[in-house]
Amino acid sequence: MPLYLCNSAAGAIDDAAKSKIAADITRIHCDVTGAPPQFVHAFFLENAPHQLPNGMSAALLGSIRSGRTNAQKAQIADEMAQSIHIHAGVDLEEISVTTVDTKASWVMEGGDIFPEPGEEAAWLAARESKHVASSEG
Amino acid sequence: MIHSTCLVQAGQISGETEAALRNQLAEFAQRAFAAPAQINWIVVPVGSGFTAGKPSTSSVVSMRSTAPLEQTTREALLRELSDVWMAETNCSHDELVAVISDPAID
Repeated sequence: MPLYLCNSAAGAIDDAAKSKIAADITRIHCDVTGAPPQFVHAFFLENAPHQLPNGMSAALLGSIRSGRTNAQKAQIADEMAQSIHIHAGVDLEEISVTTVDTKASWVMEGGDIFPEPGEEAAWLAARESKHVASSEG
Repeated sequence: MIHSTCLVQAGQISGETEAALRNQLAEFAQRAFAAPAQINWIVVPVGSGFTAGKPSTSSVVSMRSTAPLEQTTREALLRELSDVWMAETNCSHDELVAVISDPAID
């Protein structure tokens, strides 16, 4: 978490573009929110079950932790749409980027309940300690 | 009905394991929520899944509860759901994101 799912029309985003857009999604999310990169998942699908909005060639849906401001969400949407536009050549008017809030407490990753925004460092440190203890045990 | 979505990377889970997982998830939904599961199984094509900007080996399993859950209950269910998934796939904790959400408020 966050999980960014990009649904596009067949052939709209090639594999080379996916890699670049995924790198941008990771960088943008981390720059805007301060989250560590290892939290960021970006998956690309074509003609996925959730249909593309009318007139859209690419729709990026980000499930992000609750607590982000509207300004942060707007910045994420603007910059990620630009990334898809630049790397895949899709017109900006045909790109939809939206986010939905998901409570951190609803998510388990790495075997632990996900941290609230701002509590990532302690969570990662605890996880690292567990890894060390298990490798020594 | 418990709506469940599974996102897996192409080539990571065999058809046999998928079938076993579907059965296990259906049983889990009955145990946890006393309701049948409707599973939306989505395979992320090769070269299309990234974690931290690098090729991903992560899977996501999510379920939406029929009623709001206390956090202690949710955490126990998330742990059980993760155990079910890892037992069938042999993936590690670090390769799994499990989500149990409350019902949508309309």
